[in-house]
Amino acid sequence: MKLKQSLFIGIILSLFGLVSWESYWRSQGLMPNLDDNKNLWANQRTQLDKDHSNMVVFIGSSRILYDIQLDVWQDLTQTKPIMLATQGASPIPVFRDLVNNTDFSGTLVVGITPPLFFSTTFPEASPIKRSQTLVDHYHNRTYTQIINHKLSVPLQTNLAFIRDGDESWDSDVDLKTLLSHIHIGNRGPKQGPPFYNFEEIDLNRHMKMPEYVTNDTTYANTIKKVWTSILTNGDRPPPDKESTTAAFLELAEKFKARGGNLILLRCPSSGLFLEVETKGFPRDSFWDELVEKTGVKGYHYADYPQFQNLFLPEWSHLATEDARFFTRELIQIMEKDNALIP
Amino acid sequence: MLFNSLSFVVFLILVLGLYYSKLFNWTNKKRMLLLASYVFYGLWNPPLVLLLWISTIVDYTAGNKLAKETHKSKRKFWLTLSLIVNLGFLGFFKYGNFLLENFVALLNSIGIDFQAQPMDIILPMGISFYTFQTMSYTIDMYKGKMKPARTFLDFALYVTFFPQLVAGPIVRATDLITQFYEEKKATVEQFIWGLFLLTIGLFQKVVLADTLLSETSDTVFSSNELLHGVDAWVGTIAFSGQIFFDFAGYSTCAIGIALMLGIILPDNFRYPYASIGFSDLWRRWHITLSTWLRDYLYIPLGGNRHGITKMYAALMITMLLGGLWHGAAWTFMVWGGLHGSYLILERIQKRYIPFKVNAYNGIFLALLTFSCVNITWVFFRARSFEKAWNMITSMFYMQADGTKILGTFEILKVTSLIAIMFLCHWLMRNSSLKALAKNTPSWVLGIAWALMFFLIVISQGSGEQFIYFQF
Repeated sequence: MKLKQSLFIGIILSLFGLVSWESYWRSQGLMPNLDDNKNLWANQRTQLDKDHSNMVVFIGSSRILYDIQLDVWQDLTQTKPIMLATQGASPIPVFRDLVNNTDFSGTLVVGITPPLFFSTTFPEASPIKRSQTLVDHYHNRTYTQIINHKLSVPLQTNLAFIRDGDESWDSDVDLKTLLSHIHIGNRGPKQGPPFYNFEEIDLNRHMKMPEYVTNDTTYANTIKKVWTSILTNGDRPPPDKESTTAAFLELAEKFKARGGNLILLRCPSSGLFLEVETKGFPRDSFWDELVEKTGVKGYHYADYPQFQNLFLPEWSHLATEDARFFTRELIQIMEKDNALIP
Repeated sequence: MLFNSLSFVVFLILVLGLYYSKLFNWTNKKRMLLLASYVFYGLWNPPLVLLLWISTIVDYTAGNKLAKETHKSKRKFWLTLSLIVNLGFLGFFKYGNFLLENFVALLNSIGIDFQAQPMDIILPMGISFYTFQTMSYTIDMYKGKMKPARTFLDFALYVTFFPQLVAGPIVRATDLITQFYEEKKATVEQFIWGLFLLTIGLFQKVVLADTLLSETSDTVFSSNELLHGVDAWVGTIAFSGQIFFDFAGYSTCAIGIALMLGIILPDNFRYPYASIGFSDLWRRWHITLSTWLRDYLYIPLGGNRHGITKMYAALMITMLLGGLWHGAAWTFMVWGGLHGSYLILERIQKRYIPFKVNAYNGIFLALLTFSCVNITWVFFRARSFEKAWNMITSMFYMQADGTKILGTFEILKVTSLIAIMFLCHWLMRNSSLKALAKNTPSWVLGIAWALMFFLIVISQGSGEQFIYFQF
């Protein structure tokens, strides 16, 4: 057995294989990219255990994540933004964690995406479970997991084929995900349209809509197809307005009682999303009622003329330039309204 | 810390660097290994290192006392103390909730309305492994089978040696402590072979278990629907492959890492899915546990020394407790009970209808054994009897219009992989990896090595926990 020889051959071929694999994915347009995952979320959540006197916290779903540009917010308000919004999920589990497990009493902006916010409070339903998983990860993560994440960041930011997403929409290129795209015949569950990645996030969870989505209508249309298949799926359960509102109000009362400054924000939507939201979640009986019951300041994009013609490449999230404009204008509106003074 | 994680790569490089540097003498190298082992364990949950320390101190003291003490009752006291501490830890941390739940259910069933507060006990990783390992030391000391560890450091390292701390192999003191007495250094060949074993172990875990099989098994076993027979079988064989590659992968990594340090650990798996019969299976599957159960449970229960009926009873008790060792649930007891029944039936067959195994019927008997093993895995993997029963009814086509939840590609992927695994086990059943590697040209081995490494990297295992960590 000539193991030295085998090791040498193994190293050379492995290097050749990995360089080829990296080159292949780059040739397919894939560039090194961080994925929004539970570790990035937990790192932000950690900030709340430190001195949070000059912080503003954002929770909600993906809309507030894309639409609030954190650098703009920090520059204009001189406060540190902490982004704890969770994609495709309800903010209630995160709000509960914030109220019960921190003493944060500054400004909290809650993004309201009606189909997710009013969906359910059932712990096993995906909008709740997804958020709760992040909260649980933060509380239960081990030192090893923290170290693993720190070590993986330089790899993710330098190698296109290294991805670390938690969700199916992260378009990972690991072997398991690649194999999951292979289908023969029609046996098994019905396959939805492919969901391609459209996120560009940094370590502080500052999310931007990538230019390849803004500039490429065909790419944006693939995401619209996914939204269409979700929004037109007749199996979706009806909203549970009563229990979601009650759960939120209970937390809001606790938060306000300790001096917290709660703000509600309805970010823009368009196309089929807006159509479904208008029909299924009429403003007067959902948004207006929630703002009234909560008794806090609420900002609905539809109330401001400057927010009427914003560009949402895939109906649900703002293009980066428009998100920067939205953030700037929103800060002005909130400041005029004295909303940002706790 | 998991072998399949980036932090472990850095950890191993540091440990190997320090181990082979000229900074330390042998004693200090052992101290470094001990400290590294505590770091390895403590990075998961630091306070639980305390349990390791208690177990180490109690068993080291008990061992020393047993070596000197000649008074029978005092010897019994020290053995009992060791057993109480170790089994007490196991009982509280692993079976506390299970005992409480069953106690409440028993009271409720006799009409007493009692509800207990859930204890919310965290299960310390690998507790079943290191408690069994340290108990073997005190039991062997009690029986006078070995001398006590020369130093506390040697014993502490035996309990905590990081490659096999959390999921075995469960090494006997005579096999490991004595290796710490003299300076150990891997030869170049041993080091490279250890690295090769580490690669194979990670390939089994990351690529075969986590990437190719786990999702199918999880989909099937987490489904609440009554499944089509094909789906139930494919989910079950996927789990049988997953648990083998997961656990054998861990053991192979552990053996490889230890070898890189010049320490030799025993084999834990010998191509178990090509076993002919269940006695053969338990000589090939989780060997260090089955020999532990044989030596410290089955034989003390009487073994085959007191007639057939008592032997069957001893066998069944051993397998039931072996099932319970894996997890605190009745489904694990059923798993153990099925294995016990298979072993008893096999002995009856050998006694009343003996036949010779030859090259022609061997593979069919191996396939029959493998099929029976798969039925036991249903109870091992299912989280409830209802789910297990639904799976069994689907597998035997008692469920006419079961739901098809697996795609054709997934079925093909799993069945081909399991067929290849079975054939490899059959072809290798009387051989070893080392023998195969010796007869393989170095360039072929190099290509295989590169392919495994490449697949490990592109699989990007996101640090999935090893299944056996929970046991």
